[in-house]
Amino acid sequence: MLEINNLHVSIAGKKIIDGLSLTVADGEVAAIMGPNGSGKSTLSYVIAGRADYEVTEGSIRLDGVDLLDKTPSERAALGLFLVFQYPLEIPGVATMTFLKAALAAQRKARDEAELSTPDFMKRVRAAASKLNIPQDMLKRPVNLGFSGGEKKRMEILQMALLEPKFAILDEMDSGLDIDALRVCAEGVNALRSKDRGLLVITHYQRLLDYIAPDSVHVMSKGRIVKSGGPDLALELEKSGYADYVDEAA
Amino acid sequence: MGALLQNPTQAEQDLLARFALEPVDGERQAAAERFARAGLPSRRNESWHYTDLRAKLRAAPPLAARPDAAALARAKEKLAPSDRLSIVTIDGYFIPELSGDVSSTPGLSVRALKADEPALKSLSLGADDALLDLNAAFAQGGVAIEIAAGAQIEKILELVALDGASGAQSRFARHLVVLGEGARASLMETRAEGAEGFGDGALFVALGRGAQLDYACRSLEGGAVEVQNFVARLGAEAQLRAVSLLAGAPFLRRQYFISCDGANAQIHLSGATLLRGREHADVTLTLDHDAPACLSRETFKYVLADQANGVFQGKIVVPPHAQKTDGKMLCRALLLSDDAAMSAKPELEIFADDVACGHGAACAKLDASQLFYMESRGIPRAEAQAILVEAFAAEAFDDLKDDSLRDLLNADLTLLLADGAFT
Repeated sequence: MLEINNLHVSIAGKKIIDGLSLTVADGEVAAIMGPNGSGKSTLSYVIAGRADYEVTEGSIRLDGVDLLDKTPSERAALGLFLVFQYPLEIPGVATMTFLKAALAAQRKARDEAELSTPDFMKRVRAAASKLNIPQDMLKRPVNLGFSGGEKKRMEILQMALLEPKFAILDEMDSGLDIDALRVCAEGVNALRSKDRGLLVITHYQRLLDYIAPDSVHVMSKGRIVKSGGPDLALELEKSGYADYVDEAA
Repeated sequence: MGALLQNPTQAEQDLLARFALEPVDGERQAAAERFARAGLPSRRNESWHYTDLRAKLRAAPPLAARPDAAALARAKEKLAPSDRLSIVTIDGYFIPELSGDVSSTPGLSVRALKADEPALKSLSLGADDALLDLNAAFAQGGVAIEIAAGAQIEKILELVALDGASGAQSRFARHLVVLGEGARASLMETRAEGAEGFGDGALFVALGRGAQLDYACRSLEGGAVEVQNFVARLGAEAQLRAVSLLAGAPFLRRQYFISCDGANAQIHLSGATLLRGREHADVTLTLDHDAPACLSRETFKYVLADQANGVFQGKIVVPPHAQKTDGKMLCRALLLSDDAAMSAKPELEIFADDVACGHGAACAKLDASQLFYMESRGIPRAEAQAILVEAFAAEAFDDLKDDSLRDLLNADLTLLLADGAFT
């Protein structure tokens, strides 16, 4: 369970998140929608532990463990995963090497036994084939020269491999055509389970047609201004964010 | 010889006085006289602006003696068995007893260098440098590796440079590698002469028409003050891929003097230099495109931690007759500390009008976004940094065609990064 309580975040003295509270239960898929500049991406980065952000108040807990005093890699080992809006390219590091390092580091942090190379390869191949990721892509440097769709599929592959307890999808639909969106969404849906919470951040209702949320939250000016069921997303698609922007002001 | 040098330093006096005691021949005499006039290079010599050897070398330690039985025994302990064909030198002297047996490799000859080696004379032509002169004046021992025309040497040849005695000494090794027409070989130079003393070694390489050499230098423990010279001439259509891995260098200058003498020669020069503490390493190269339609690529990478100091100077010279030259030179430095410094001076001298030449230099820190991305996958920061540093440096080895040579350098690099000094 992810619990965010009264979170205040600034960057270079400017307040971005202003008293945000949100709880996502195990097995729940929560969607956060909101206009540009409402602080959605900042929220995902702060949960994942990116530097440059100053948390002035509040707490973020994953299964009762306070995340804010943990490094990004410690948070990952605790079961947190972020699907990046713009996945990074890492020249010179083969995707396979990267995946192996990530999985090995997480297992080590959790005092789990190291995975043998054949077992690791088996898992990667299985996850890759479900996402239509060809083997030669795994030999190439991480995300280097990949299309937008390939990068997002690679994100979902990492998620499948690392089996997080909680995943944040930061505008997963950006840069995807309809077919790629469907493949990625199917990949995410396959990872839905009663033990795994998901936080889906998006501008558009479209993504939620593929990944059906249990709850929808509207974010504006750094806080949640309205919460509701899946219907709220449909309502927003019709009326836009104007009402909520005014409300927060 | 005459006291031509004004106000010689202690080191210059040591070197000149020692030379006066040596019996000499014409070549040595001429080289020594040139050195006596020029002295050790200092900041006043433009090409030594960032590496002030005259100020650094306070005194010249005694010349290394011809290795005795004790030196051989000591060296033997250092040698690990390998599947490479090793050619062992101690303080520059060829040691056949410790070297591999070449008799079963057709087309390969390995022997002690002769005092008057005609190939050396033609190779040194045009390379005007005080340290090459000093090397010529004092050179002792040396090994000549010759590969006959057409011979394809499958095994990696490994030239291992060891030291004979503990304590500071001066060494002036000088070796020759000749590949005949169409010959092909892979050569690794492993430098392990200890961390003391003064070294001014030179490797001379001559590639005949269409010959191909993959060459890798592993220099992981440099002398207190060390100069490495690499002099090469390429015949038409010859290909040289020369890569260096430099680390553990208190004060190192690696100099390349390369000339493409025949048309359509190809040269790939690259290197990774990793420095920490107060280490200083300077790679300076001059590449003469002395024939038309040659291709050259230079890629030099630096990883600088603590207060380390990196220097790169590269000069591509394209005379009027070298039309259709294709040259690209790149220097990239990764600064891991605010106190590390990099000086880069890439130069092009182009006198032909139909060429494609370019150069670039860049210094940067590790990319914070890449680091965060890796950390967000569970890779701890130090490990993520090591992975990025390794990827950055290893790119310098990509030019090698010989996979096993590249694997050896990559293994060295991994080991070098394992203790966490470069994060």
